[in-house]
Amino acid sequence: MKKITTSLVTLGLIFGLMSNTELSAQTLDGRQIIEKLYNRPTPLNQTSTLTMTLINKSGETRVRTIKQNTKDFGEVEKNIMFFITPADVKNTSFMNWTYSDDTKSDDQWIYLPALKKTKRISSESKSDYFMGSDFTYDDLGDRKIEDDTHKLLGKETVDGKECYIVESVSKDLDYMYSKTVTWVVKDHFIELKKEFYDEDGEKLKVQQIKEYGDFDGIYIKILEEMVNVQDNHRTSLFFENINTSVNLPNDLFTERMMMRGI
Amino acid sequence: MEKGLLKLLKTPWIVLAVCFAITLVFFLQMKEKSRLETDLDKYMPQEHPAFVYSTMAEEWFGIKDGIIFALENENGIYNTETLDTLKQLTKRLQKLQQINKSDVNSLYTADNIIGTEEGLDVKAFFKRVPKTPEALNQIQQNVRTNEMIYGRLVSESETVTLIVAELEDGVFSQEFYDEILALAASCQTENIKIHVVGRPIVEGTLALLAPADMKKMIPIVLLVIIFVLFLALRNVKNTLLVMLVVLISTIWAFGLMAIIGIPIYAVSTMLPVMLIATGVAYGVHLYSHLEGYIRHNPDATKLEAVSDMLKVMSTPVIITAVTTAVGFGSLLTSQVYPVKYFGLFTGFGVLSAMTLSLILIPAGIMAFGLPKFKPAEGRSQLANTITAAILKYKLASIIGTAVVIVLMILGTQKLWISSSFLSKFEKDSDIVLTDKFINSHFGGTTALNLILDADGKLNTFKQPEVLRLIDDMQAALESKVPEVGTSFALTNFLKRMNKVMHEDRDEFDIIPDNQNLVAQYLLLYEMSGDPKNLVKAVNYDYSRLNVTIQLKSDGSKAINSAIDIAHTYEQEFKDLGISINFAGSGYKGLVFSDLILEGQIWSLILSIIIVIILLAIMFKNMIVGLISAVPILVTALIGFGVMGFLNIPLNATTALLSSIAVGIGIDYAVHFIYQYRRYAITSSNRLEAAQKTMAHTGRAISFNAIVVILGFLVLIFSVFPPNRELGAIVSLNMFTSFVGTLTIMLVLMYKSNIYFKNKNTKE
Repeated sequence: MKKITTSLVTLGLIFGLMSNTELSAQTLDGRQIIEKLYNRPTPLNQTSTLTMTLINKSGETRVRTIKQNTKDFGEVEKNIMFFITPADVKNTSFMNWTYSDDTKSDDQWIYLPALKKTKRISSESKSDYFMGSDFTYDDLGDRKIEDDTHKLLGKETVDGKECYIVESVSKDLDYMYSKTVTWVVKDHFIELKKEFYDEDGEKLKVQQIKEYGDFDGIYIKILEEMVNVQDNHRTSLFFENINTSVNLPNDLFTERMMMRGI
Repeated sequence: MEKGLLKLLKTPWIVLAVCFAITLVFFLQMKEKSRLETDLDKYMPQEHPAFVYSTMAEEWFGIKDGIIFALENENGIYNTETLDTLKQLTKRLQKLQQINKSDVNSLYTADNIIGTEEGLDVKAFFKRVPKTPEALNQIQQNVRTNEMIYGRLVSESETVTLIVAELEDGVFSQEFYDEILALAASCQTENIKIHVVGRPIVEGTLALLAPADMKKMIPIVLLVIIFVLFLALRNVKNTLLVMLVVLISTIWAFGLMAIIGIPIYAVSTMLPVMLIATGVAYGVHLYSHLEGYIRHNPDATKLEAVSDMLKVMSTPVIITAVTTAVGFGSLLTSQVYPVKYFGLFTGFGVLSAMTLSLILIPAGIMAFGLPKFKPAEGRSQLANTITAAILKYKLASIIGTAVVIVLMILGTQKLWISSSFLSKFEKDSDIVLTDKFINSHFGGTTALNLILDADGKLNTFKQPEVLRLIDDMQAALESKVPEVGTSFALTNFLKRMNKVMHEDRDEFDIIPDNQNLVAQYLLLYEMSGDPKNLVKAVNYDYSRLNVTIQLKSDGSKAINSAIDIAHTYEQEFKDLGISINFAGSGYKGLVFSDLILEGQIWSLILSIIIVIILLAIMFKNMIVGLISAVPILVTALIGFGVMGFLNIPLNATTALLSSIAVGIGIDYAVHFIYQYRRYAITSSNRLEAAQKTMAHTGRAISFNAIVVILGFLVLIFSVFPPNRELGAIVSLNMFTSFVGTLTIMLVLMYKSNIYFKNKNTKE
């Protein structure tokens, strides 16, 4: 999740509109497109209900619904999640603080109501999969622009929307993806589709944004799906009750609130 | 039939040319298309319920066979050199095409979940190989307190650590095998030894070693047979023609396999064995008759001699070949394809050998001239004396046979079944020693998967009472079956999480007693550990669970005793709505060998019945059919009895040898009875007929038996134990069939008075 101040959002919006008209005359290069994608405005406050569905290759599913609150504090973005279903994990909560300082790793806490204990989790890898899903923490928005070399491959119309196709090759040869290819919607700089290639250059995953919405000029994903084409596992994320106009209290993001539940 | 064969005598060169042309075609096909099947899964009947369930379970839980690399450093593994080697080898294995990156597990890839005062720490044991003593010491401490690693990936002696690389089905090949071994060897250093084991390696070695040893041994067997055959036939040309028949029929059989597109299975290497044992017989009998004819008719032309040979001998040769082929044909009832094909192609090979004997040998004589025989007296004298003695002491044969039968029935009580692959290797071979070494340091190299199935009932395996029962069963397996080293299931994750969440206190190394807590721990594990590990333990809706049991032996006894202990929990699980099933290659191997055995025993019984009926029809007498079966029954019984006494287990190979007993034993009987009937017409009494038969056929049978027995005894010097057993058992079977035919069968024929009832003569 990106960190920008209100003024920057406005500036960005104006700039975005201006550059939009300029596009036909002067084409952007790959890096510029990805920059616009990564720096796309995000809301300062956001609440939503997430339904996460994991589907394995046998077609068995694991469904979880999670109440999510996110607030951007500038230097740090805080996120707190409460599980609603399944019943046996109800009120289990998870808090994550992401720092804009690259050298600082995330702080994470978990609260297990059956144990009545909050525990700090220190996990070091951004390549870890998030809750058994097909999304890594990186996939959910923590990748840095400088980590890849970006190249514009061309343009294509997907679902009636004109898109740039940008290839991003990892500079770190040991990174779990050798490259990604992203279809970026020309008008709002949101990705519609993304392909992930593994270390051996073979296609690993395909992400598709099936639905996104305009929330006061900010584009937010509503339904997305990630398919691991190698082991035939898929994850869908469906966000409901999206609210970007609230002002979440600062003390919502504390261990005490984690224990209180929804 | 004879007329057709006689016609061919006029154009021997054409006959020879046609035979060689056909052989050339088969040979070229064999060279081009033959392929060795090393994937043992291809051997198994896929539609059998046990295999169907196992295959599904393998899919659900990603159950795969692993190649185990053991890095041994006598000075301990916690030093920069060993950990660096571990990291490098792990990474190189992950890069191999045949292996998925996530299927390689070692201390380098493992997650270490540790509980601290304030929380939970999930990280790798190391990323960069540590250089300082403090950092190395920290790893050592972390491993010691992690029961999911200690004793599983690192030995308690701290001198051995494992890399386990799981393989997809069907990727194993000779090239891959060589690549793996070369890779391991290239990582070895002065201080670090790398051992490679695991079922794929054992299977692969076996699949390559057995045919390789046969390739080495068969030429020696052939040389010995040629030499002894020469001593018996006393003629180079004849010897070579007989061997040519065997060689060509083998080429035809393998050529046909190649043309149809059937790969060479491990059992197929027995095909030449069978063809040598049966093919030699036809030639020996033909030449033996020819020799007798020439002795009595020194002035006969070669056409006359060969015509007489075909007139007298073609019928018994055809009968013996048909009965032998039927014996092998009974293997078609087997559920196991390699055995089915073995029966089919051996049957084809036997019929080819018979046809070639009746065409090539006469053509050879016509083309290259008659062998010369010196008239020798006293020969039939010996046969007469022996026959008279056998018939005088009839009781000796009868009582002797009875005693042997009783004794051998006792022997069969000691027979045991083995599906072990490792037992096929020399006790002091590298592969057995390495396996022993790893088993002494870790839970075991053989995996048995126990699948608990709640038949779709959601969240069953989140219930504490169910989990506790599983934990009890695991404890029972580990304590009551000496071969079980460790077991691994969802219970181990939960106990670990429970301990970690209670500041690593040992008293919390138990199953939590609250279902919500179980669910929350699992969620926590998914968030912090590698969720792929959970996929191998339980399915998505918690209605199926996999317990992996590590055994220190791949033998049937060990696997069965683990299965037996698991079954003592069957009722308790049933009360909870859960059924017990098994999966994995060890279990499939067990079921497979039982299937082969069961099939073998049925086809043995079937073939004996068919042979009795066939001979009763051919000789138009039921009693003759029954008497002819006596030597084969005795031979089969002795074969199994001796195996029992010598502690040779029944397995796919040894059980197949019973087919030889029937296939060859019946030949002796048919030749003997056929000639006895022929001589009965011209003889005045039973003794005379018996003596003439003994001089004619008895002699040929003796030659045949001696040639093949000596040939197969060579296999006793093989470096590969199963081939040694093969040599010993084939020799034994030949010997007992031979002795049985000339003693108890002769006595029974004599006593039955068949062919003399209407003669009304007195001795």
